[in-house]
Amino acid sequence: MTLHTRIEPPPAAAEAPATGALTISGLSKDFRIDGAALSVLDRIDLDIRAGEFVSIVGASGCGKSTLLRLIAGLDTDYAGEIRLDGKRIAGTSLDRGLIFQDHRLFPWLTLEENVGLALLNTDIPKAQRARIVAEHIALVNLSGFEKAYPHQLSGGMAQRAAIARALVTEPKLLLLDEPLGALDALTRVHVQHELQRIWRTHRSTMIMVTHDVEEAVFLGDRVVVMDARPGRIRRIVDIDLPHPRERSSPVLHRLRDEILAELTGPPPENLVHLPVREVRA
Amino acid sequence: MARLNTPAARILLGLIVPVLVLFWWQAQSAQGGARALAFVPLQEVGATLAAQLASGFLLNDAIATLSRAVTGLLLGGLAGTALGVAMAMSRPLDRVVGPLYHAVRQVPLLGWLPLIGLWVGNGDEAKLLIVSLAAFYPTVLNSYEGVRTVERRYVEVADLFGFSATQRFAHVLLPAALPLVLTGVTQALAFAWIATIGTEILFGANAGLGATMGVAQAQQRMDIILVAILAAALLGFTLNHLFARLRRHLLRWQPVIH
Repeated sequence: MTLHTRIEPPPAAAEAPATGALTISGLSKDFRIDGAALSVLDRIDLDIRAGEFVSIVGASGCGKSTLLRLIAGLDTDYAGEIRLDGKRIAGTSLDRGLIFQDHRLFPWLTLEENVGLALLNTDIPKAQRARIVAEHIALVNLSGFEKAYPHQLSGGMAQRAAIARALVTEPKLLLLDEPLGALDALTRVHVQHELQRIWRTHRSTMIMVTHDVEEAVFLGDRVVVMDARPGRIRRIVDIDLPHPRERSSPVLHRLRDEILAELTGPPPENLVHLPVREVRA
Repeated sequence: MARLNTPAARILLGLIVPVLVLFWWQAQSAQGGARALAFVPLQEVGATLAAQLASGFLLNDAIATLSRAVTGLLLGGLAGTALGVAMAMSRPLDRVVGPLYHAVRQVPLLGWLPLIGLWVGNGDEAKLLIVSLAAFYPTVLNSYEGVRTVERRYVEVADLFGFSATQRFAHVLLPAALPLVLTGVTQALAFAWIATIGTEILFGANAGLGATMGVAQAQQRMDIILVAILAAALLGFTLNHLFARLRRHLLRWQPVIH
């Protein structure tokens, strides 16, 4: 297929992507609620290599979505530093793409118009845009649905369309904010495999926030485990397995259980120990 | 019940009540005397209709009323949509113009007639002004709401792709507001049509369905009034129907709710 000649970079480039390295240092973020400051992120330090896939997991309220919004540049009110390839982030840019849990396709545009509109401010010549849009629709296996409006697509298809829209500008860094959270279990597994395939061919840096620990270890080179209130990095787990991975791999299962245990325990000091718990232990 | 949804069935169903009314009407007029004056026999109305069609009077009236309504709708609708959108996008403008607009729109158009008559006279300009105002009010209100209620999540997507203010307006705000803008225009269409015929009756005109109604009333020509009413109803219905189709086409991206 001609599609892969363009989207798949030459093997040399795939091994060592030149750009897309993210450095976060001393990042803190407060929200003001009724005049009182509420700390959402507290002194986050994180280095992400170019081409790396990093998963972030943590309880609700650990500020993981806020972290992605800051990296995307949707919110520029923060303390500390976020640098992409050394450049401080001070707003949105086509260098960085963001995929939300809700697909956010414009309902008034067809699938191909949605993907095409993302190219509005790129310097890609008009003549090539239609071809590039078609290639990215093919990349997420939606060929044949170019003229469909978002409401005519299923949840999984719409989310894949959103992935195509985010990738069409070829961002160095792709941020995924629980992109599969709203999908049913089966579709979810399917889109996870597509994501992995796309990441392996594109080799852009990806950071994915998820609630699903299994998904986090399956896709991530590293899994960042976060604490809530205020959001801090508790631990970073290396997933030292080559891609593509086997979902059934015992190593993945062990890492998943380890991270789940990390997230759910140890119980705080003041927790009342119920008899049932004692028996199980 | 699917059979009742075919176009032919829908037309037949819609005609049941009008046909019943016609029978009742004819029965009333058959009683003679004063009743026959109030309820002109249908054959007389038919004869008048044929005469008006043949002489070109009816066509002339219809064209005059139609062009007044459409001109007023365009002027008032465009101005109203522009103001509503501008108010939704500019807080200072909203603060300065909003209260005045909301106060003024509480006064029925009929209330302004004496003043407008005094200022602008009762010529075509006065009529056009009133029809434009009738189209202006609902379009301001709906386009304002339309732009104000655009979901923030879509604006964020525009930010992510680096849209300029103009691009954001053209590609996100306007299409997202379109359903409500068109609701405003639908209301404006109905109001403009009513206002056109109303002002023609009150101010008179060289030609127009309302003007003819006014003259016929003075001459106690019930048959002519009925022909004009019939024409006004049918034309208004057609206008509304055509616009509804246009609206459905423009909003074809919305899921159809059954």
